[in-house]
Formats: sequence, C-alpha cells, structure tokens
Amino acid sequence: MTAVETEPQAIPRPKRSRRRNGRARPPLFAYLATAPTLLLVLLVVGLPLAYSIWLATHKSNPITKKTTFVGLDNFKTVLAQDSFWNAFYRTIYFVGFSMVLTTVLGIIMALVLNKAFRGRGFMRSVMLVPWAMAPVSIGVLWSFIYAGDIGTLNGILHDLGLGFLATPWLGNNTRALNLVALTHVWNQTPLTALMVLAGLQSMPASLHKAAMLDGAGPVTRFFQITLPWLKPTLLFVSIIATINALMAFDIIMIMTGGGPGEATTVFAWLGYVYSFQFLRFGQGAAMLYILTGLSFLLAIVYVLVLSPRRRKARTAAVATTPDSTAQRIRRPYSITPPPPRDPVLSPRTRAILSDIGFRAMVALIFIWSAVPVLLLVMMSLTPASDLIRTPPSAIPSGFTLDNFKAVLFPDGGTTSVQARRVPLSLMNSFIIGVVTVAVALAMAPFAGYVFARWPRARAFQAGLWAMLFTRMTPALTLVLPFFVIYRTLGLIDTRTGMVIAHLSILLPLVSWMMKSTFEGVPKSLDAAARIDGCTNFQMMTKVLLPVIRPGIMAAAIFGFLVSWNEFLFAMILTSTPDSQTITVVLSGFLQQARFHEYGPMFAASVLSVLPPVIIAFVFQRYLVQGALSGAVKG
Amino acid sequence: MASITIDNVIKDYGTTRVLHGLNLDIREGEFVSLLGPSGCGKSTLLFCVAGLEPISEGQIRFDGTDMAQRSSRDRNIALVFQDYALYPHMSVRENIAFPLKRLKVDSSTIEAQVKWAAETLGLSALLDRAPSDLSGGQRQRVAVGRAIVRNPAALLMDEPLSNLDASLRVHMRTEIKRLARDLGLTVLFVTHDQEEAMVMSDRIAVLSNGYLQQFAEPMEVYRNPANRFVAEFIGSPKMNLLPASDGKVLMGLRPQDLTPANAADAPDAYAVTGNVALIEPAGPHYFLDVMVNGQMIKATANEIDGLGQGSQVKLTAPSHRVYRFDSDSGVAL
Repeated sequence: MTAVETEPQAIPRPKRSRRRNGRARPPLFAYLATAPTLLLVLLVVGLPLAYSIWLATHKSNPITKKTTFVGLDNFKTVLAQDSFWNAFYRTIYFVGFSMVLTTVLGIIMALVLNKAFRGRGFMRSVMLVPWAMAPVSIGVLWSFIYAGDIGTLNGILHDLGLGFLATPWLGNNTRALNLVALTHVWNQTPLTALMVLAGLQSMPASLHKAAMLDGAGPVTRFFQITLPWLKPTLLFVSIIATINALMAFDIIMIMTGGGPGEATTVFAWLGYVYSFQFLRFGQGAAMLYILTGLSFLLAIVYVLVLSPRRRKARTAAVATTPDSTAQRIRRPYSITPPPPRDPVLSPRTRAILSDIGFRAMVALIFIWSAVPVLLLVMMSLTPASDLIRTPPSAIPSGFTLDNFKAVLFPDGGTTSVQARRVPLSLMNSFIIGVVTVAVALAMAPFAGYVFARWPRARAFQAGLWAMLFTRMTPALTLVLPFFVIYRTLGLIDTRTGMVIAHLSILLPLVSWMMKSTFEGVPKSLDAAARIDGCTNFQMMTKVLLPVIRPGIMAAAIFGFLVSWNEFLFAMILTSTPDSQTITVVLSGFLQQARFHEYGPMFAASVLSVLPPVIIAFVFQRYLVQGALSGAVKG
Repeated sequence: MASITIDNVIKDYGTTRVLHGLNLDIREGEFVSLLGPSGCGKSTLLFCVAGLEPISEGQIRFDGTDMAQRSSRDRNIALVFQDYALYPHMSVRENIAFPLKRLKVDSSTIEAQVKWAAETLGLSALLDRAPSDLSGGQRQRVAVGRAIVRNPAALLMDEPLSNLDASLRVHMRTEIKRLARDLGLTVLFVTHDQEEAMVMSDRIAVLSNGYLQQFAEPMEVYRNPANRFVAEFIGSPKMNLLPASDGKVLMGLRPQDLTPANAADAPDAYAVTGNVALIEPAGPHYFLDVMVNGQMIKATANEIDGLGQGSQVKLTAPSHRVYRFDSDSGVAL
C-alpha cells in the first residue's frame, strides 16, 4: 500500500550471512563433537550393514563352510519363490489395514483428546499405554485373549451366554491375519493420535473461528480446515506408520509365529524364518533388503502424493497499492444471507446431546486403551487354575498374590523354571536400559547440536542421512551380523553386548531427537555464551545443556523405554538367563509354558508393562515430547 | 448493515466476571472502537457479539433482533482477526471466496464479487498466491477482503493493525476508515492504541476491568474524560495528576496544556513552579520533565531558550484545561 511495504524476501539476503548459516566450513569443534557419535554409529550400524550386504551377495555352504560370491543371485532366487510373493501380498494387506485403521482411529482420538475436559491429562496417559507397552507383552496379552479353549474373549462370551460364538479366534487364516493386524493397530494408534494431536495444537484457534463466522459447519470445517492443516502431519504419520507396519515382527512372532500355516507370514517374519530357521543367510538378507527398498519406495510415494503442491513460481513484485483517490467501484452484487434457519433442536438440547456424544467417545477410548490392560492385571491376580477352566470364564474365582510371589521371590513356591528367571531378567532389562541411555546421552547431544547448527555441511548431512537410513532398515538386517560378530568376540550372552546392540537403535534415535531439540534453541544464545567468555565446551555444558534439560529428560525416558521393550536383539544375542531381558523371558513362557504357568506369566507381563505405564502416567509430558522429536519408535 | 445493541451484557468465566453489565448502542454504519488495556474485556465483548462466546446474562440485538439463539454462522458477521486467520492451504482467491461458497452463491457471482473485493483492496495481482507468499500488510488486506466480500451485518476487527509496522499501521487506519465510510459498514474495532481509536472512530467505548468507563465521540473523550482512568488512558504523554491542597481532589493537566508562563497568560491561569530535570526534544516541541513539590510532571515548550537542567521554571495552563477528579472515586468533578 505504501513504499514501506516490501514483498517478503524480496531483498536479496547478503551472501555472507547465508554462508555463515550453513555452507561455511564448520569449525574443528563441530567435527570433534560429532566424531564419537558418528564413529560409534559407523561401528554398530555401518559395519553390520556392510556385512549383511556381503551376506546378501554370497552363498555359503553350511557343511563345507565355503562361501562364494554370487552377485544378485540371492535376490533372483528369492524373487522367484511363491512364498516370497505370498508374503509380499500379505505384507501389503497388513500395511494397508494398519495404515487406514491407525489413521482413522488416531484422528478420532486426537480430536476427542484435543477438547478441553476434566480428566483430559489422565485420558491422554491412558491413550498412550498400548503404545508404551512392549510388543511382546502386547502379544502375550492378546494371544491369550484370542486363545481357543481358555481365551478371555471366549470366556466373556460364555459368561454372557453367547458360548456358541466361541471359537479359536486365531485358527482361521484370514481372521488370524486381521486380528494380528488389529493388535498392531492397537499398539500403533496412540503414536498417530499423538502426532495428530500435536498438529491440532499448532493450529491457530482463530482459523476455526473465522470459518465458523464464514458460515462453515462442523463437518465442513473438519474437511476444509482441519484436514488440510493436518496434511504435513499425516504425511509424516503415514511414513512412520508404514515403516512400523512393514517391520512388525514381535507381535507376529508371539501371537502366531507366522501361522496358522502361512496365514500371517509377512515379509519381516519370512526374512527371519529364512535366516534363522532355514539358515539361508544370503537369501534372508536379500529379502530384508527388498523390505528396506519397499519402505523407501512407499515413503517416496507418500511424499509425492501428500506433499503440498507447489503454487506458481512467485512473480516479480507487483504494484499492489490501491489508488486512494480513485472513486470506489460499486459492489457488483449485494449478497444477503438466507434468513437464519430455525434450529431443529434448541441450542440447549444440542449442547446436551453433543455433550453425551462426547462423553461416549471418551468412554470408548478408555475401553479400547485400558480395558485389555486391566484384564491383564486381573488375570495376574487370579489363581492360575482360573485361567484354564472349561468352559472358560472371565469372572475370577478370587484374588491372590501367588503369581507375583512366584516370579519375584526365588523360593516363591513355584516349580516353574521360567518364573525363577524373572527377577534377574528385570534387573538385566533395567541395567541395560540405563547404561545404554547413559552412553547415548554422553555423546548424542553434542552431535545433535552440530547437526542443528550446521545443517548444510556435507559431512554432517551424510551422517544424518545414514541415521535416517538405519531407521528404514529392519532390525533383522542388523541382528544376523551382530550374532556372527559377537560369536567371534565372545560378546554373546553378555550385558555389554546387549548395550552395544541397543546403541545401534538408540544412538541414531537420540541424536535425531537432540537435533530437533537444538533447532528450537535460538542461535543468539550460542553467541551470548561465547561473548561472555565461554569456550565451545563450556558453552555446551554451562549454557546449552541446561537449557535443553527437558529435551534430554525426554530422550532419556524415551530411550529407556525403547531399550526396555526391545525384543529381537535380546532374543538372538542371549542364550542363558544371565543376560536375558524381561521380553525374552516373557516370550519363553509362551514357548514352553504348561498350564500351571499362565499365572506367573501374566504376573511377569504386568511387571514388564509397569515401567512403561508409570512413564506414561508420571512422565507423560517427556514421553510425548520424546515421541514428537524422535517420532521413530517402532 | 445493522445496528447493534448491547444490553446489560454480563460474561462470566467460571466464577470470574469479565464483563459487568455493559450497555452500548451502536448505530447502523457507525465506526465504534472498543478501547482499553489488555485484559479489560474488549476482545471478549467482540467475540460475544460474533457469537463465538456465549454471554451469561443480557442481550445482544442486531437491528432489534435478539441473537441469543443464533450461532455465529447464522449471525452474518465478519471478523478480522489479529493474526488474520487466513486459510493457509487456500489461495488468496479461495480465501476471499470461502464465505460466498458457504452461502452457495453461484460461481459467476462469486467471481464478480471476488474481483470487486480484490480491486477495492488492490489485491488483483495477488489472487493466485498462497497466504505464506504475502507480506503482513497484504495478508491483512486479504482478511479484510474476505470480510467485505459479502454484506455482513457488521464488521468486527480484533486489533487488526497491531502486527503491522508503524508507518504501514498509520496508512492502513486511514484506508480502513475510508473503506468503512464508502461501504457504509457498521464497524466494531478493538484496539489498545488510544491514538488509533481517536483517529478512526465515530465513537469510542473505553473499557477497564470489564466496566464501561465512557462511551462518546473521540474529542469528547479527550476533552471531557468521565473519570481519572479515561483521562490517563487517553492522550500521550499521560496526563499529570497533582493533589490539590485539600487532598480530596486531584488536578489533571495534559502535558500539551502545560507550558512555561508567558505574558499572554490569562490572569486566572493555573500555575506551578518547579525545576527542570530533563528536556526531551520531540520535533514540533520539547517535553520538559519538571520536579514540582517532589513530584515529576511533564510539560510542553515550543522554545527552551534560557532553560537547562536544574533551572527554575513557572508552568501555566488555561483554567478551562484543568481537570478535577475526586481523589477517592476518580470521578470527574
């Protein structure tokens, strides 16, 4: 309107400032700060990956132990097999099923939990629980709910007099796949809801008010305002959800083991079977690389489909000053709104009805998220004999602490071998989690700082991409090389070995989280610290690290949870109770449990979900922050 | 356009009362500012008129019709938000057309209306841009365009100029006032900037703590403030308040009315004497900080010949420019 008003960014930025922002060669300090992290990532991720590439391109004879280079033959062999293609279609179905359901349910949950109501904080914690739990614990819980003769679901049906509906739920092919996918959805929906919630909270309140005044009703506003606003969030959510669905392994292993028949054999499971049951390492590795490729491909497709369309390139600055002296043009049409409709229901009735509907939604979220967990707690408190009644019943005959005694005390009066392993395994899980987090936090903040401050320096960009790549690679790809290397180094079945293995997950994760955290710290703070006489190291320890303490807390809590819940590495890299973690012991229950061990098994399950539940309720804020800045937990 | 009657409106948030029985009669086509410091309830009142906030008691009437049963989408109100609230995923054209689409107007009418609104506001060249590609001033005009593209019963504006830089703000207030006059809009304009309110409004409603302090034409509010709060809030620099000798009355003196004594002073002029503490050049004149009986007061001088820090000066004000307030209640006497 006046000369003072300038086009945005019309003034060319001075070149010097741009160079200072990124392209300029980073100082030595930056390289030193990232070196430990990058070296360790290279060691715990790069080396195993290289080895798995070697495996994928070689063929080994298990008897003669001779290996020969075969190029892409392993890939060709795999691609020619029916089982591969069957698993491929099943995987696509599994991913599609989870994607649609997690997105729809996640958006609904987020919309409900974004409204202000009493108990919202509590409900948000409740909502998070299924996601904070270990997939192994989830598998144990749901496989018992769906179990044939003695399952809880059948028990409830019998109690309701609907016994004729009882059936072995996981016995039918299609149903088994759907139920496993549903369990995965149960586990993953909170993550989607969390990210959508963050997207909703960043939406300016005025947007909906403006649309309301412009005459848009609730439905129009959802589709015209809310959904477009969430588009970038949904893009991100879709990528994460797809990767997580492609890599889903723990739940399938615990619930069905790929069966019945091959009904739930998806890619990740097939790769495992090839590598560790058929011992065709080359083909297994090839399969897992195809899985990695698939996750990249889908990520690219999402970006193409969902990324904001580019508007026309900006035209040169145009004169946009209205001529203040000119006679105003008359309004061509006088638009008068239709006479206001008489509402069918009075505003009061409508308010009451929508309030009832809203409460019902909150109740549904509670039932969906909390009731299965409460069932688990109830089963752990009932006499073991209750769990094997025929016909089954969900109503306990009494309550007892025997199951907890059996798993917590060495002389708990149990004959169960597995139950005796629980206390040590809890200790192992705790130690491994704490040490891994401590090591990661000793290095990653420095790397994260450099990644945030010199985002365009080539060396660091490469490091970041490498870390992103590890996220797209199934852990199964890493686990085999780890196994081989550990056997050589004698690290199998040691807690040290477990810490190193978990670092391969946590180090990229925590570095990424620290990068996001530092991006929110103004650069002027760095400058102020330096002007006030800090060395680079003092700037970190005295100024920046205290500033990002909440971010560090979030990374610590989140990282601990990831380590605590981890199953695959722990299963492959441990063999004796000395270093087995709780997830391994829990899965052991399922494989060898006799009927009288169900009670202790549920007690162990409850103990395994205790830390995640405590974190979800006590440290909800940090957990949420961690999830949003890392957003990568499986 | 419509007249708006705010009749004894009370608004409670829980147990906190934020509007205490406000009464305002806004005529059709009138430009009214709601002026007050932050937290005085002016934006709350605006949102109540828009129907975004329910009122606890009282009535809001448009052209005599009670709005209690009408949701905001049925009130035919346009509101320009402080942050403009442009729909980020829509082009300027789509933003302006949005309210018309909700009215199910046919597309040729929409096109003509949008064209008109864009030409009126000088946005024709920007119609295909995204809001993120616009400067602050351009976004502001798009928000106004979206508001005037239909015939709203009233145009409500919530501090629409506060995010603009100073010179653009001065320019835009003239533009908005002209636009409102040309289109005959009833405007309710929320601001905390007394100068903005003075320049733009037909009448100003001064609010404090949820109470209406005064509702009058700008110069009336300036020259005859109803109470101490209005007197201090309107005018810059702030009015000096000096206790009178009996202690029950406060004397109010605007710095602009208080000048060094000269021969042309009327014999009954008010006079005080003090020592100059600071001289601030302000362009057309100087501001003097003068210590009078242990209290710093501000005065104006056209020339400062012979004045320096510490020098004694006699200040006078015409007697009809001396305001008096009850020192307890603050009410103008």
